[in-house]
Amino acid sequence: MGAVSTFAEVRPGQRTRFARYRHSLWLLTKRDLRVRYSTSVLGYMWSILDPLVMSAIYWFVFTQIFKRSVGEDPYIVFLLAALLPWMWFNGAVSDATRAFLREAKLIRSTTIPRTIWVNRLVLSKGIEFLASLPVLAFFAIISGARLNWDALYFPLAVLIQTALAVGVGLIVAPLVVFFRDLERAVKLFLRFLFYASPIIYSARDLPGGCQAGVAARHCATTVAAQSDTLFSWHFWAAFNPLTGIFSLYRAAFFPQELDWFLVSVSAVMSVLLLLVGFWVFARCERAVLKEI
Amino acid sequence: MNAPVIAVSDVGIRFRRNRGGRRTFKDLFSSRARRSRPNEFWALRNLSFDVQPGEAIGVVGRNGQGKSTLLKLVAGVVLPDEGTVGVAEGVAPLIEITGGFVDDLTVRDNVYLTAGLHGMTRSQIDERFDDIIDFADIGDFIDTPYKHLSSGMKVRIAFSVISRLEEPIILVDEVLAVGDRGFREKCYRRIEELLTGGRTLFFVSHNEKEMRRFCTRGLYLDKGTLVLDGPIDEVLALYNKDYAV
Repeated sequence: MGAVSTFAEVRPGQRTRFARYRHSLWLLTKRDLRVRYSTSVLGYMWSILDPLVMSAIYWFVFTQIFKRSVGEDPYIVFLLAALLPWMWFNGAVSDATRAFLREAKLIRSTTIPRTIWVNRLVLSKGIEFLASLPVLAFFAIISGARLNWDALYFPLAVLIQTALAVGVGLIVAPLVVFFRDLERAVKLFLRFLFYASPIIYSARDLPGGCQAGVAARHCATTVAAQSDTLFSWHFWAAFNPLTGIFSLYRAAFFPQELDWFLVSVSAVMSVLLLLVGFWVFARCERAVLKEI
Repeated sequence: MNAPVIAVSDVGIRFRRNRGGRRTFKDLFSSRARRSRPNEFWALRNLSFDVQPGEAIGVVGRNGQGKSTLLKLVAGVVLPDEGTVGVAEGVAPLIEITGGFVDDLTVRDNVYLTAGLHGMTRSQIDERFDDIIDFADIGDFIDTPYKHLSSGMKVRIAFSVISRLEEPIILVDEVLAVGDRGFREKCYRRIEELLTGGRTLFFVSHNEKEMRRFCTRGLYLDKGTLVLDGPIDEVLALYNKDYAV
């Protein structure tokens, strides 16, 4: 004996459940990032390159080829302010489709609460999102966009988006285990959602929204004065939680983009999706563990 | 009598027989009783037993009689459909031990990752790191990516990490079938050390010699139910009588 200590003195049970969850979440996220950065030559550059190329394409199409009638100036800043968070959401949800399948072996050997397999994806994509923000800062500086106090809403936007991404992830991840088709359906839906969300255009450009030139604080009145508010695109777009989230992000550079109606509907929708997510997840967990 | 460290009461778990079995979105919303259950069978049912701290238990049965499922239930990596599995202490599951290892990371990173996921703190791992590497006997490969190890080495390092977890309950599921004879003997000695240190052991194997070496009590599973729960020799005797070669 001797070499082996008795379990009372060293066993790792000193951590509380929550601390252990947090610790594991951090380990897995670090692992993700390390694997991604250690196996590719460009490493961190990929977090930047992807949005850079995407925005270059849209910038070219919408400012050089078509005469643009949507969005704000400088367009590249306007675009990136929504494109970067979109990539976070898009990455987290499309990875969530493989959350259980890819880590099956690990899930079968540990007892960490299973929500971690979704949360870690949201977290690691979120860190990549933060890491890509310098791109936005760079273009804001060279194009002379002015940052204003609404930038303080950034944490709120991140919070709502986290709730949304976790919620959707918790719904998608377990269901894909039973319905493999869902993996492709989700990818397709995300492509649709890219154009259905105000990324290359503004929520204000939607029919029924308040047009450019109307100050933010008069917006509600203007919209209410329109005859068929309830059946306008603008109204229905509010139920896409991304609409409000992007409006919050964009407010940092374009205060007229901030629309509290959109933000509150989006917050409510995100919380609802989160609750549904927890419910679906709790419901499926048992069966998922048998299936993988 | 102390409080049991593992309390299994009236546990049942069922699986689907065929992968293509119809599951509909409707199943998700209807109540548990009304859900359609195409072609399911009970892998275990009406299973109850208690385990006292420090006991060494061997699970006996033919293939497909629920031995591994029972171990997974105790490990908490699958959840029962009926009844409860109460596990009062931490578990070191020697099941799918290589599961946490990532091909692209080095052995060193993998050790920290896996031990961390099983609840060890960084300083605890620092302390044991040399021991772990020594035990697995792969000192020259610490900074080699895991995927470049031979399959024997992979199992060795994995066993070495998990068996260092210092948890009061150890579950062993035929992992030792691989590895050369020298290493297997080393593993057995480790398990014996752990047993003398007061750990509780749950052991699944088809090797009678191993069973008698470690275990004092046996559980005989057949067709998803517990046939006999008694001293290991009696259990093995009954098993051999039922399935004489």
